[in-house]
Amino acid sequence: MANVLAPPRPKSYDDTFFKPVSLWLTTTDHKLIGIMYMTTGMLAFVLGGILALVMRIQLAQPNLKVIDAETYNQLLSAHGTTMIFFFVTIFMTGIANYFVPLMIGARDMAFPRVNLFGFWLIPISIAIYYTGFFTGGALDAGWTGYPPLTTKQFNPGLGVDLWAASIILWCVSGIMASVNFLTTIVALRAPGMGFSRLPLFVWAQICTSLLLLAVGAPLAAALFLLELDRQAGTSFFVSNGGRPVLFQHLFWFFGHPEVYVLILPGFGMVSEIIPVFARKPIFGYTSMVGALFSIVFLSMAVWGHHMLTVGMNIYVETWFMVMTMLIAIPTGIKFFNWIATAWGGSIDFQIPMKYVFGFLATFLIGGITGVYLSSVPVNTQVHQSYYVVAHFHYVMVGGSVFTLLAGTQYWFPKITGRMLNKTLGEWSFWLFFIGFNGTFLVMHTLGLEGMPRRIYSYPGGFGEEGWGATNMFITVFSFVIAASVLVFIYNLVVSWKYGEPAGDDPWGGNTLEWATTSPPPPYNFEKVPVVRSFMPLRDMREDGLRPSLASPE
Amino acid sequence: MRGRLWFRRAFATLPVLVVLVLFCSGTALAAEGSGSGLDPIVPNGKSPNGHHIWQLYLLVSIPALFIFLLVEGLLITVLIKFRRKKLPKGYKPPQWHGHRGLEVLWTVIPALILIVIGSASFITLQNDYTAQASNNPDIDIAVTGHQYGWKFKYPEGFTVDSEGLTPTPMVIPTSKLVRLKLNSTDVIHGFWVPDLTGKTDLVPGYENVTWVKVSQPGEWRGECTELCGTGHYTMQLRVKAVSQSDYAAFVQKSLADQAKSKSSPSPRAPGAAPAAPAGSPPASPSAGPTTR
Ligand code: HEM
Ligand SMILES: [Cu+2]
Ligand SMILES: [Cu+2]
Repeated sequence: MANVLAPPRPKSYDDTFFKPVSLWLTTTDHKLIGIMYMTTGMLAFVLGGILALVMRIQLAQPNLKVIDAETYNQLLSAHGTTMIFFFVTIFMTGIANYFVPLMIGARDMAFPRVNLFGFWLIPISIAIYYTGFFTGGALDAGWTGYPPLTTKQFNPGLGVDLWAASIILWCVSGIMASVNFLTTIVALRAPGMGFSRLPLFVWAQICTSLLLLAVGAPLAAALFLLELDRQAGTSFFVSNGGRPVLFQHLFWFFGHPEVYVLILPGFGMVSEIIPVFARKPIFGYTSMVGALFSIVFLSMAVWGHHMLTVGMNIYVETWFMVMTMLIAIPTGIKFFNWIATAWGGSIDFQIPMKYVFGFLATFLIGGITGVYLSSVPVNTQVHQSYYVVAHFHYVMVGGSVFTLLAGTQYWFPKITGRMLNKTLGEWSFWLFFIGFNGTFLVMHTLGLEGMPRRIYSYPGGFGEEGWGATNMFITVFSFVIAASVLVFIYNLVVSWKYGEPAGDDPWGGNTLEWATTSPPPPYNFEKVPVVRSFMPLRDMREDGLRPSLASPE
Repeated sequence: MRGRLWFRRAFATLPVLVVLVLFCSGTALAAEGSGSGLDPIVPNGKSPNGHHIWQLYLLVSIPALFIFLLVEGLLITVLIKFRRKKLPKGYKPPQWHGHRGLEVLWTVIPALILIVIGSASFITLQNDYTAQASNNPDIDIAVTGHQYGWKFKYPEGFTVDSEGLTPTPMVIPTSKLVRLKLNSTDVIHGFWVPDLTGKTDLVPGYENVTWVKVSQPGEWRGECTELCGTGHYTMQLRVKAVSQSDYAAFVQKSLADQAKSKSSPSPRAPGAAPAAPAGSPPASPSAGPTTR
């Protein structure tokens, strides 16, 4: 990398890990920034999870008053915002930050300083959002913050403004990261790594970045207009004379692609992990890339499926229905290609592979309920009910969270040089799998029976006789999830210090990150790797070459 | 080591268990109906539009269950057949890079399934969700949402106020096409009575329309479905269908109550004066839509 302006880098991490703090604050090394992103995301996961547990306790039985209704609405909004904006997106960005340059054989991201700046916007954004809790109340209108409920007239407090500021900042950071990823991938690939040899995780990151680049600005614009309504007395979205529904269009033009921003990196990880543990190349490389791109384009044409009850023209609704159904096709292609990749393989079910199978088994359910939801008439029954809560948790937890846990299990040895403890890995996987399905499966049935989402409490009387028992069941299992997350984090911390040494390539990987040491040196590769297929490391192994490109003895 | 083995077993059987639990509970509880907290399908709406949603739900369920069983079945097969420990020592996995025919197959079959579901949904949409579906209503009720409650304005000229956790029901006659004109005075609300039909939003600034036509008497619960503020969860809703003679009695009584509360300046109706009925419309059920 001929970046003359790049600041001096440490020669090795041996004397820099955990110290000095100033390095962590100022480093432009993509790996350290990646770790900071991941740490921030993990902390947000814990925070959002605690909020969810409080909500679950409140909902465990009819008519409970563990917290008050206003607090519930604030926790609900903070949970949604935290999980989507501050946990999954940020954690995925962290993994990509660490591994995209390694996978393409680059020494760093294209714009290291932008990378650092973009990262630091995130803790600031989180801090701004959470300030709301100490200044008279945070956002209380759900993570979607629909006006008129968020206009000055109905919500005079500071919470809404802090939310808008925080998310606008988040958008800026996301756009910076996207530009950085795209430039890096286009400009800094190792010799021989043509686009047809890019690892699928890198392809997925291209698509993620394109999406965020396209829809980040509209979200920022929507929130900016909302702030104009609130502060300057304009009337874009107010109830008298404005068009509240316009906000929904702008929000969901971002909001639907955002769920693909959350899941596409996960798709990429799965496409990397299955071939390694099955000892087979990915099935249908080209159709995998094609499917990613069709998802990118279709996902920007479906936003109206979140608004099928606001009273749109039925032909417009039909358009959104058809587009939504079309997305099921590339998703199906990916699914069957993954199964075909595993089929006939010699599969070693290490923990990362278990998480991948957990993902396949649960994400499928989220995909299928998505088809129900896309049918407009069916949607008018299940929309805004617990059925939808179940659906999107199956997609975002069953999809994104399972995959990012798989990715963490898979790459932890590379990041730290140590293996995660297997027994703890088994416990965290099984507790998560059981806890997750126990929590969210029966939410479908609650929704089908008419329990709306975003309610603080329910009477449990007329027509709701069984809801208390079902909700209690859900609450109990949500604590199983909490236990699994504790085990997972305990495993990370303990194994980072005491885990078995991992070596350069513990799994027999296919991609370039396994060609260097664990952890990689600051400059990533001593020799510039040469690539002649999309599985360069496997080629080297088969040629009988010593794969390590890090230390030339 | 023994612990490991146990984990392996469990790993192979757990997905099977999940599938079994899903389907046993599904079939066992299908008969139980609303209130159990475990109903696996959408309510069979008492109004024709709700009934059509139920039919569509069943239609979607056929391919959905098929795909679900197929894919989970394939996953379980992979789990059992292709684990390295079970395979002969020198097994070399085939190095397939893809298969055009198969890839086309799993593009085209889902597409065909979706065409069926999409067409059926579109037909229902055209039949039940356009203005024509309720062009000639027997009764028009103007439903207005506010933080936190409902107002039902009847064509006969009286208005029913409904608020709180045990709300006053909206009374409708059986076997009549009732058109609901939905609006809001403040923020967005949602009108949903699951046992009748799907939901429609109440948006300030324009009017949405939905309709119900119920054949038997009964009372059903519902609730506001758009988060509308701190009291959102209190915005409960009841719809009560009564025979036509009972409905006539209800109208008479409501009119009488209204007249009484207007003539006697009771402390309970201080705001009645501004809503002076400048010639309240005659109680003709098919009178045009009431103005908002
Ligand atoms: C880990 C265990 C989790 C539990 C127990 C949990 C539980 C809940 C609960 C109880 C609600 C409120 C439902 C309502 O009142 O309508 C909720 C909403 C939500 N959750 Fe989670 N959740 C979890 C994880 C996640 C994750 C990982 C994500 C995202 C990646 C997520 C995203 C959301 C969103 C977007 C909402 C909607 C918030 C809103 O309506 O504004 N959740 N969750
Ligand atoms: Cu969407
Ligand atoms: Cu409401």
